[in-house]
Amino acid sequence: MPTALPTMRRNWLVTIRAYPWTYFVGTVATGVLTVGLAYLAFHAIGGGQVSAVFLADGGTSDYLGYVTVGAAALMFATRMVLWVAKAQITEQREGTLESQLLAPARRLPYLVGVGLQAFTTTVAEVAVMLAFAVAIGVRLPAPDPLALLCAVAAAGVAVFGVSVPLSAIMISVGEAHITQNTLFVGMALLCGFTFPPASLPDPLRWLGEALPLTSGLRALRGATLHHETVGAILPDLLLCAGLGVAYLAAGLRLLGPAERTAVRRGGAA
Amino acid sequence: MSAAWRVVLAEALKQHRRIFGTKLVVFSMLVWPVLTLATTYYTILPVTAAPGAAERWPLVGEPQRLAAFLAAGALAYTFFFSLVQSAWHFSFERVSGTLEALFLTPASRLALVVANGSGALVQNAWLFGAFAVAAAAATGTLHVAHPGMYPVAVAALLVPAVAWGAFLNSLLMFSRDSAFLYTLLDDPLWFVAGVRLPLFALPLWVKAIGLAFPLTTSLAVLRGALLDGEGVRELGGDLALLGGLSAALFALTAVTLRVGERHAQKTGSLQLF
Amino acid sequence: MSAGIVIERLTKTFPPPRRVFGKRRPAPAPAVDGLSLTIPAGAVTGLLGLNGAGKTTTIKMLATLLRPTSGSATVDGLDVVRDAREVRRRINLIAGGERMVYARMTGRENLWYFGQLYDVPRATLHRRIGELLDLVGLTDAAGTLVERYSRGMRQRLSIARGLINSPAYLLLDEPTLGLDAPIARDLRAVVADLAAGGVGVLLTSHYLAEVEQLCRYVHVIDRGALVAEGSPAELTAGTRLPHTVELTLTDPAPDATKAVDALAARAGAEVWHDTDIDGRPRVTLRHPDDLAGELTTTVVRAGGAIARVEVSPPTLEDAILAMAAR
Repeated sequence: MPTALPTMRRNWLVTIRAYPWTYFVGTVATGVLTVGLAYLAFHAIGGGQVSAVFLADGGTSDYLGYVTVGAAALMFATRMVLWVAKAQITEQREGTLESQLLAPARRLPYLVGVGLQAFTTTVAEVAVMLAFAVAIGVRLPAPDPLALLCAVAAAGVAVFGVSVPLSAIMISVGEAHITQNTLFVGMALLCGFTFPPASLPDPLRWLGEALPLTSGLRALRGATLHHETVGAILPDLLLCAGLGVAYLAAGLRLLGPAERTAVRRGGAA
Repeated sequence: MSAAWRVVLAEALKQHRRIFGTKLVVFSMLVWPVLTLATTYYTILPVTAAPGAAERWPLVGEPQRLAAFLAAGALAYTFFFSLVQSAWHFSFERVSGTLEALFLTPASRLALVVANGSGALVQNAWLFGAFAVAAAAATGTLHVAHPGMYPVAVAALLVPAVAWGAFLNSLLMFSRDSAFLYTLLDDPLWFVAGVRLPLFALPLWVKAIGLAFPLTTSLAVLRGALLDGEGVRELGGDLALLGGLSAALFALTAVTLRVGERHAQKTGSLQLF
Repeated sequence: MSAGIVIERLTKTFPPPRRVFGKRRPAPAPAVDGLSLTIPAGAVTGLLGLNGAGKTTTIKMLATLLRPTSGSATVDGLDVVRDAREVRRRINLIAGGERMVYARMTGRENLWYFGQLYDVPRATLHRRIGELLDLVGLTDAAGTLVERYSRGMRQRLSIARGLINSPAYLLLDEPTLGLDAPIARDLRAVVADLAAGGVGVLLTSHYLAEVEQLCRYVHVIDRGALVAEGSPAELTAGTRLPHTVELTLTDPAPDATKAVDALAARAGAEVWHDTDIDGRPRVTLRHPDDLAGELTTTVVRAGGAIARVEVSPPTLEDAILAMAAR
């Protein structure tokens, strides 16, 4: 993939030169405050306990651990989508989309490069959030390293996969803010970042299953909270990665027509 | 005085043209708040349904009252946050050159920023109205001491919001990195203001920070007046605090405007910090 | 009392950027340095200078957008610092470009908006909006959102905005920069009319032909200080720049050519001989004095037949360039 690494390097250089501290602080704040909210609610309202429904649906009494894993995943997903989905529309706004389209590089390696760079910044952000969680008393049991790695990889594929059709939508309508925020808000409700999706009414649960991160979160929680092995979380891993790839394929298909629509619409978004 | 009123009308048109009927306002004022409200409800459900929770926080015993509590929080938060968005938008006037055109006119700068904020609120009002009516109908839990508390609640929401909006406008007008202030006022705002949690659940230092934001006390009055049947006597302290905060914010706005414009006249740069 | 705009020993030094660490930088040179001049009502006054001379800084001080470091500027006796608000009612600024209008409002709404901010009486405002839209040729597009305007249309709307409060004094900072030629020409006509109607206009421009055409009086500044002033004709004459006379003969006439050379030698003028596009002999003379009359007489007396005479007096541009070269 000759384009991926140069793209990653380019994004790194741009990032280091003009580091978007605002993004960093914003993403970390979201994670920290989500965990903070859960912590306060758990102690002040729950008195250190959870409902029987949560025990059943969530499979654990560790409410804070549950929410922490979800918050980390939420930060991860938000960051990846922000970078990958907006890569194309950023090029469009900066006027470099046409020159990109003229270059012979294929789309996928380019986006992978963007994704890789975004991934590295996410690690830093999640680390800060986890440090906070540990500081307030969240104790996550040591996960099975292989299972965790596979779960993170599957989640990466899932988020990357979802970003691509989103990117196509963004450049064809020429708008990023509404599109991405609607996705975030929708995912926050449906995927089970901060609560077990089983709590939702059935129609919403089915809708949630169509999103790859729902199964991805199950795999992540299995690996971290329940110390499960790869074998135990395999069904969710496959579902997550499979859905991710399906979204990716659909997105790549849509990118071509979307780019043409964008250029036809002409100029800046 | 009538010159100031003309500024209000002018800004009202400008905001109407910017906001009304756009997709962004429907999403940011209605769709996202409603979805986020649902997410918040389900997020704290595991602890509100925990054994003994009703002793610590009585209203969790009735799911509709909990929903009404959270809905009031979402409504107030969206209301105040819409002014953050509007101030962020106002800061673009510096870049696009229209701010200079405004400074060229004899119009009162304070009138401009106040009018800008209230213009935005008016445009968002119908959506809030829809949201509020829907929330009230869905939860069926409005409980006022007497009808006179409705206007009190509305005033407790509007006046501090206008002061808040004016202050933010003056701040973001002269700030290079408006995005940072925007971020600072997004998540932290709902956290410290007791939007998603009862105030008793927040540690003291968080509550102290929260008091500096009009949203916190405004929301307390809103919930107290509309959901808990409290009257002016019980809410007296909060109302006084809101009055003081609003006055302080207006004063700070006037100062920021003066300092900012003076700085611009001295250095040629409209950027203060 | 129409005392005009009076500037006395006006100085503006921009403070160096603040540095927390590192040694304090010395104060930079003033952008405007002890400038004194008057802009009367009912005339167009030019302010000329090369880039960085301080023209825009001066205009911005008069517009109350910048505060002078020292010296004073008054508009009809009102101080631009102490009486800023009153000054703003009486002046307006048109700078080249299409900023200063709102994209999401229509042309008419933009003018109404600014009219409100200037507290223009309601009835007057309504009428004036119609007049201004007509003046800048935007009546048909008045109800269209500005974001759909072409660049030229936005520029025209910006001009209308600059006139919405019917200013007593109009400050024009390179107003025709980037404007299409027909719009620029119309703007110049408007400016001339306004001055004739009693408005005091200050014009800075790089188009010296424009300054020559419009200005009764010109101040030339360089590095913030006044270096020359006068009417355009005075400035040009003052620098003793050459006139150029070009005379074309119908047929070659060796006697005439010799006589012309003799004239040139006597007067100390530069002379060229060449042929025009039709092959006719042509002679060109350059001299500080206007030698057109002498040249034609000399040629006719020597037996030459004149096809064409063209006289090019020195322009203000030549004058400015000469001053800059010094």
